[in-house]
Amino acid sequence: MQTFLDTAIILLPLAYLLVAVDYGFLFFSSHPVAERTATPALRGAVLLHLAYLVALTVHRHQFPAATVAQALSMVAFFVAVVYVFVEWHGRARSTGFWLVSLVFFFQLLSSVLTRPNPPDRAIFHDPFFSVHVLLALLGYTAFVVAAGYGFLFLQLYRDLKSGRFATFYGKLPPLEVLERMMTGALLIGFAALTGAVATGAFWANRLYHDQWLHDPKILFTVATWVLYAAALLLRKLRRWQGRQTALASLAGFGAILFSLMAVNFFFTGFHGFL
Amino acid sequence: MAAPLLEPASGSRQEPPLLLVGTDYRCSPIELREKVSYGKEETEEMLVHLLARAEVAEAFLLSTCNRTEVYLQPRDEEGAYNAILDMVFLHRVPELERPGRLYVKRNGEAARHLLGVASGLESMVLGEPEILGQVKQASALAEAVGAEGPVLRRLLRSATAAGRRARQETAITSGAVSLGYAVVELARNIFRGLEECQVLLIGAGEIARSVARPVVERGARELLVANRSLERAQQFKAEFPNAEILAFDERLAALQTADLVIASTGADEPVLTRAHLKAAMKHRPSQPLLVVDLGVPRNVEPRAGRLENVFLHAIDSLDTLIQRNLKRRKEEVPKVEEIIEQELTHFRGWVRGLEAEPLIARLQKQAEKIRRNEMEAALARFPQETHEELERLTRSLVRKILHHPSTRLRTRDGGAGDLSRLDMVRELFHLDDDETAD
Repeated sequence: MQTFLDTAIILLPLAYLLVAVDYGFLFFSSHPVAERTATPALRGAVLLHLAYLVALTVHRHQFPAATVAQALSMVAFFVAVVYVFVEWHGRARSTGFWLVSLVFFFQLLSSVLTRPNPPDRAIFHDPFFSVHVLLALLGYTAFVVAAGYGFLFLQLYRDLKSGRFATFYGKLPPLEVLERMMTGALLIGFAALTGAVATGAFWANRLYHDQWLHDPKILFTVATWVLYAAALLLRKLRRWQGRQTALASLAGFGAILFSLMAVNFFFTGFHGFL
Repeated sequence: MAAPLLEPASGSRQEPPLLLVGTDYRCSPIELREKVSYGKEETEEMLVHLLARAEVAEAFLLSTCNRTEVYLQPRDEEGAYNAILDMVFLHRVPELERPGRLYVKRNGEAARHLLGVASGLESMVLGEPEILGQVKQASALAEAVGAEGPVLRRLLRSATAAGRRARQETAITSGAVSLGYAVVELARNIFRGLEECQVLLIGAGEIARSVARPVVERGARELLVANRSLERAQQFKAEFPNAEILAFDERLAALQTADLVIASTGADEPVLTRAHLKAAMKHRPSQPLLVVDLGVPRNVEPRAGRLENVFLHAIDSLDTLIQRNLKRRKEEVPKVEEIIEQELTHFRGWVRGLEAEPLIARLQKQAEKIRRNEMEAALARFPQETHEELERLTRSLVRKILHHPSTRLRTRDGGAGDLSRLDMVRELFHLDDDETAD
């Protein structure tokens, strides 16, 4: 089992890199080989990823998000699953390169940060606590997807505004569809993050009483939540349009990365996982 | 009739026996082309007349706004050529006899040309998709009057296959290359579907109509027209009955709900200013607005393009889009040519197989004759109830023994060895022409 886990952690970023390159050929040159191989290659990589996460759960007897590395791998897996569903449902692969690149990025970070013997956290054996983690992972996944679509929205918006009709024009879904995907993902992400903050507050209150309130991780997560809440509110009030919402989704993505990486490693004490 | 264009034949026996005479937009101006343009009934009539000539075995006439071409499978090439020249072209337009007005292609070159036509490579607008449908219609017409024989039928099948593959496997037809379709393409990059778009036309002249046609054709249902002259707006409505006519001043109110605005008036001053659009966008801030300005001088203040969610494109911008798409189509030409070569190879293989058919028939006939003779001599020695089984067995044996040689003869590679192989089969199996008489 350990051998499989050790091998998979190396293979996964490589597999996603190859899939991203395949989708890149599809996006930039509609290469016939990429036409045939991109989707099966992605599905193969996702299956390998699923096997890795199942093996990790069985081997450690805990939800596979006990460390930042595991959490990043879970986010990568969920983003890949979301894209596989979008591709299957919409029969369009034009956004594949960009979303699979994000998957590769998260899995690469995960593989680099993976340590041979992660600490065994008792709290992760509690199935109810897993709800908090699962909601947080779902929220982060949705925000990553929103950032992906937000990025593509901005590129197409720029192409259409400038009249240059460069790289992105004609290769992506229409602007309205990208905006709808981005907004949908933001709403799902916001609902999940709200749930994660609420369940987290409930657990922290029981275990740590008031000490947790001033933890940098908590403060930063609440700040991220406020950023998304403001973006959605301004959009609801029709003060912000697609472009501003897309910029906010990219800012939120930066905040999530900072929260997962810098805050977890350097500032927080008790919330040293996800 | 003189036949100045027809060079002496130089094709080998391996080439399909074809003759093409035609004129297109590259050879003749519209004034001449329209005189040799054939409608449905005229085409039928001409095909019947051509077939009545002893020199013509099969015929196919393709007549579109950009070309008139006649493809024949000739019995006598020179006679067939003179027939086409006189009956199809010079009878109507004697000026076509001048050098360069007509082109003549033979055999493989004629076949390649038709495949190129069906694939859109020969079209005035590279990759134009309508031509494939026109080739199919012309083919159906020739079939209906009995002008298509096995050679032209197979050639047209190759041509439609090449055209279909070019559309499916390459991007030769992708991207808009006309003003109207460029507007459609822009709209499709912004909106989920044209069906849900409200289109506001400011100006109802010829440009507005030419752009409105593809927009309506591609699904736009709600059409509003604002024009200074009510009479011209009424003319527009005659062509587009679903259009709703607005007073010119109502255009500003219509901006609040429209998704696509096409301005094409001859006004000297902008008919839409930044202030107009800014005011309209306040009512629909999150709804994108595509504004296409086809007026010269411009109908829409250029500064309006900087407004959030307003996508303003003038004629130059559309031209950039069209040039970009044309460049992409040109890049696809080698891929289409490869498809044409593949289909041409299949066609040539079929033609070569056609040459072998009489020999294969003779071979089978001779084998069957031997089988029958041997059976007649042998059957008396076997019980009656086994005769049927023996018949079946010997037929099966003959069929199996001849299967491989027949297949090989049909699928020859076109090399120099093919003809000697046919001769060798004749020699080995003693297949003289006299023997086939029975």
